[in-house]
Amino acid sequence: MTQRVITADGLAKLVTEWAKKGAVYAPVKAGSKDWTEFRRVTSLKETDFSRVNTKQSAKGLLFPQREVMLRFKDGKSEEPAAPEEQVILGIRPCDAAAIAFQAKFFTGQGQTDPYFKARLDRTTFIGFACNTPAETCFCTAVGGSPSGTRGLDLLLTDIGGKYLAEPVTDKGAALIADMPDPAIGDLERKLAEKCAEQMPQAIDTAALKRRLDSGFEHPVWDELNLACVNCGACTFLCPTCHCFDVTDEERKGRGARIRVWDSCQFCIYSQHASGHNPRQTARSRYRNRVMDKFKYTVDMVGELSCVGCGRCIIECPAGIDVRETVEVLTRQLPEAAEKK
Amino acid sequence: MSREEALRKRARELLESKQVVMVVGHRAASTKGKAQPAFIAKPEDAESLIFDETCGQNLAGHLLKVKHLGKIAVVTKGCDSRSILVLLKEKQLDRAQLHILGVGCEGVKEDGKLSDSCITCEYPNPIVCDEMLGEPAPGDRLQTLNPKPQTGELTSDERWRELSEDVSRCIRCYACRQVCPNCYCPVCFVDASQPALVGKTTELSDNMVFHIMRALHMAGRCVECGSCARACPMGIDLMKFNRKAAQIVKERFNVVAGVKEDDAPALTVFDPNDKQEFIR
Repeated sequence: MTQRVITADGLAKLVTEWAKKGAVYAPVKAGSKDWTEFRRVTSLKETDFSRVNTKQSAKGLLFPQREVMLRFKDGKSEEPAAPEEQVILGIRPCDAAAIAFQAKFFTGQGQTDPYFKARLDRTTFIGFACNTPAETCFCTAVGGSPSGTRGLDLLLTDIGGKYLAEPVTDKGAALIADMPDPAIGDLERKLAEKCAEQMPQAIDTAALKRRLDSGFEHPVWDELNLACVNCGACTFLCPTCHCFDVTDEERKGRGARIRVWDSCQFCIYSQHASGHNPRQTARSRYRNRVMDKFKYTVDMVGELSCVGCGRCIIECPAGIDVRETVEVLTRQLPEAAEKK
Repeated sequence: MSREEALRKRARELLESKQVVMVVGHRAASTKGKAQPAFIAKPEDAESLIFDETCGQNLAGHLLKVKHLGKIAVVTKGCDSRSILVLLKEKQLDRAQLHILGVGCEGVKEDGKLSDSCITCEYPNPIVCDEMLGEPAPGDRLQTLNPKPQTGELTSDERWRELSEDVSRCIRCYACRQVCPNCYCPVCFVDASQPALVGKTTELSDNMVFHIMRALHMAGRCVECGSCARACPMGIDLMKFNRKAAQIVKERFNVVAGVKEDDAPALTVFDPNDKQEFIR
């Protein structure tokens, strides 16, 4: 599909136009705080693309932390109205890939989650390629790229006051059909390559998976989990984590069925109605998270559930670094024979 | 010998002589400016121990995870020692099974800035310890350098508005609870499910119930180490709640948590002379 060039003014006009037709979400500086968050905007002026990643990923725009599934009153229930059309502008390639992963999970296993699907169908993803990685970025180690297009409709690359726009889908191409063709050669690729060069080498995730396949009871887990405090910060900030809990809130015959994010790090997550809890210990919960990222989702939907955004590294109150965890596991777990 | 060298030497000696089975301390994390709790069981691993301005984790709570192993040595700055005292009084730790390696603390930094709790800290040195490594930190130096953050100067409405704004950012990851050395209930009230006591959503009302109830549970026990505020990924100053509670406990009962070895926790004591103006 034809690449185009968009000037800053051109992008500003587009944003204003899109905001008239639906919601536009983009990174915005979070008040007095030193980070950015996806917020609804009506003009490009409100946005701030200076950070590599937003504090929270964009996952909440398709899978909100708190979502009303239905409301009920006197024995009758009512489903919420269809979500509005939305444009997510300035999503990084890692976060977009994470939503593509979630789409596989929510819609690709013979079951379709109607709430996620309704939002996905009404969302346009406009990505921002990364020109400079953060210290904690490692998308290149887990199969991603700072200029990856997975999950996107359109990828923008900042080429100094202007943006090179690369359509990924017809929807993306239509957005920029009126823009001029670029006179610039392979600048975008060069910028992305330069960024990728600064990032870590790929992890042999297939070998790691084979190690994890037979490493469930290995004593390495006894040491690895000790520093972990079992909070859910990593899971809630993770762009691929997708677990939820459903509760009914009811008072005098009226109420709502609500789903909220849940975290495998919480003791109640795996507690059965009988009171039995198969993951009673901090050790087993920590192991579950690592296993989930690098083994379980590979078994379930055929891919890792880590996109290398680095949020868990930045925010872990115990200073745990998943790159280090992977390194220790690769070093200590014996590699099982490859299954035929 | 620097303090860090002394720390490593003593840790190694204690492990080699089998006086302790583990040394709980800090080691450098992979990202700059961050430390990670370290659980050292082999004498040769003592080399990874550090103690500097990045070591903001209160290690007292981590002791509860490893106390079953035997006698533990723990690197202890002022606030850690206060938490240990609270845990001893609450019968969660056994003093005979602890070897406290005291260190004077010059304050913990986050992103190069002195943590709020360290600005107001009156106890940079351990209240209780078996040996001091290095020199004690000067007592009130930090306070005189930095003004105390304002608390309790607002009207009730203003305070509610401010706290609502803060708490509305909460994502209920419970990092505050999990890093708190004095939050150790086997089942937290927010995790109770039969029946559920608190809504699990991020609605303001649910978030507020969680934070207010937690603050009340901490009253008279919180040692104001500030771990919760530093742990919060959403930058909520959770110490606003805890500072206020500590201030009230001090005013009404003249008790400061974890600064004396022999007093009882403020809210476990009934004194007929307590002010009881709420009973009419």
